Amino acid sequence: MSGPNEDNNTQLSSHIFGDLLDSIIVDVASECHRIAKLGLDRNLEEEEEEMRLSAQARARVADPSNSSETNTKYVVDIFGQTHPSVATEIFECMNCGRSIAAGRFAPHLEKCMGKGRKARLKVTRSSTAAQNRYSRGSPVSTYSPYSNSTSTNRLSNGTPSVAGEEYSNGTYEEPWNKT
Amino acid sequence: MKHSVNRPPTPDGAEDQGNEPTLQEIINIKLIESGEKERLMELLRERLIECGWKDEMKALCRSYVKKKGRNNVTVDDLVHLITPKGRASVPDFVKAELLQRIRSFLMSAAL
Repeated sequence: MSGPNEDNNTQLSSHIFGDLLDSIIVDVASECHRIAKLGLDRNLEEEEEEMRLSAQARARVADPSNSSETNTKYVVDIFGQTHPSVATEIFECMNCGRSIAAGRFAPHLEKCMGKGRKARLKVTRSSTAAQNRYSRGSPVSTYSPYSNSTSTNRLSNGTPSVAGEEYSNGTYEEPWNKT
Repeated sequence: MKHSVNRPPTPDGAEDQGNEPTLQEIINIKLIESGEKERLMELLRERLIECGWKDEMKALCRSYVKKKGRNNVTVDDLVHLITPKGRASVPDFVKAELLQRIRSFLMSAAL
């Protein structure tokens, strides 16, 4: 391999490489130009919009008149609405029939239906009443009038009967009416 | 008689005497005709994308466009913007690989 040829080759190669690179550079520039002109780069406009909004938000946060509100219960959601921390709609409890606020409903149900200590006592009381065959006339309120086990039947005639069956065929009269 | 035989050929009127194709041009023609130029371009393009060079160039363009406003930018602007940085930031191993390929082509073509 002769010296001059090597140099020539190297020079030539570099030149050719430079040509290739220039072509690719023009391609990239042309592509970017196209994207810019056609507005295909959504990031461009989005970024400007976001920067504007973030500047706005920052101004709002920095504003001292706002800081007291944002830390209390009145938090603003994305639609700009505020909600009180306890929901205020009123429902009727299907268990005891009382009017309860929606925000207080879960704790009420806990007590009312059996999670709490007092509620469980209520249930126990009524079940023991059932076991005693209604003869004691235990004053448990009929909070589930269709349930077999808890209805109270004061059978003044003394015959022990299962309350549920009587009720279901509808022929049984209200026990209070019996003398 | 001998002199007339040795007489240089009548110059063709249409062909310009000074336009002897340079070595470079010859090589270029050979590159294109054999399809090697296309292959080399694709290889270089691929390598430049892989190493993130293209993304860098696009980022440069994008920031320029953002600064100038997208309706005030020409292709020429972008080419002039990218060329110096682009030529300088090609990774060495990419350049080496391409030069190697070109050199071996030259050696095979020169024969």
